[in-house]
Amino acid sequence: MNELDYLIIVIIVMALSTYFTRLIPFVLFSPGRESSILNYVAKSTPPMVMMILVVYMLKDINDQSYELIYTLIALAITIGFQVYKRNALLSIVAGTAAYMFFVQI
Amino acid sequence: MVRSAVKISLPIMFGFVPLGIAFGLLFQDLGYPWYFASLMGIIVYAGAAQFMAIGFLSAGLGVVEIAMSTFFLNSRHMFYGLSFLESFGNWNIRKLYLIFGMTDETYALLTTIKVPDGFIKERYYLYITLFAQFYWVLGCTIGAILADVLTFNTDGMEFAATALFVVLLIEQWIIVRRLLPFIVGFISSIIALVFFINHMLLTAIMISIASIVFMRLIKGSQS
Repeated sequence: MNELDYLIIVIIVMALSTYFTRLIPFVLFSPGRESSILNYVAKSTPPMVMMILVVYMLKDINDQSYELIYTLIALAITIGFQVYKRNALLSIVAGTAAYMFFVQI
Repeated sequence: MVRSAVKISLPIMFGFVPLGIAFGLLFQDLGYPWYFASLMGIIVYAGAAQFMAIGFLSAGLGVVEIAMSTFFLNSRHMFYGLSFLESFGNWNIRKLYLIFGMTDETYALLTTIKVPDGFIKERYYLYITLFAQFYWVLGCTIGAILADVLTFNTDGMEFAATALFVVLLIEQWIIVRRLLPFIVGFISSIIALVFFINHMLLTAIMISIASIVFMRLIKGSQS
């Protein structure tokens, strides 16, 4: 098997594997058959997952360095803009710009 | 509708383009033609898994191991679909594509936004998902092509993904207004961090869903 064949097979396998994980719930649960517990799970999952994703993104911060301080500043800017302006793009750009500024100086 | 979808998907662009560029740059170190980076963005379309693939490819890992690792790394997506069982419409190509495009970022955005009045939900979702993937493929391609020439200092731009999730967390709070899921999510994250740090995302999601199902069942049996 030459190198390009290997690469192409890996890409196809990864594509199928990834699609499979995303497809499973739609195959297992057909809509319409109302289940109150499933509805409850579906409604509670987004806030829980969002909380988990935020913790996940922040878990590797080195608390012995300035990284903690400038991450907190960038977070405060993001949250501040979002709470007062409710403009997602503005909040993200402002927070990211602040973070990049601190990382690069 | 298209313009509205572009506008609402822009935050994803800020996360995906730099992340895709980072992927393209690293991928080029493997020495394959640049268009394979684009191809991965088009048919695999999974951020973390694509970065993992760079390690697999350089190590020449077996296909079965790669299939298993990809499945476990992405298995959190199984829980994402639960929120869209009814909203992706009937089985057709559009639905198959919407399922394909269910990344962390699109999931986070689609569960948070409100579809404007007069828009067909499935079509609006389709445009957003298409634009999101376009940003990702664009990033992968730019990174791979410009591997030698790129001079712009993107250090720190990865914070855009964190900022996106923080913004959507605030928006979720405005929609949901119940403290319980946020607390359950937070506690599950901490438990997963302490005991399963290598599989933190998946473990935290499983613990949190198991917890709310458990709490719901106890509450149900009392009343």
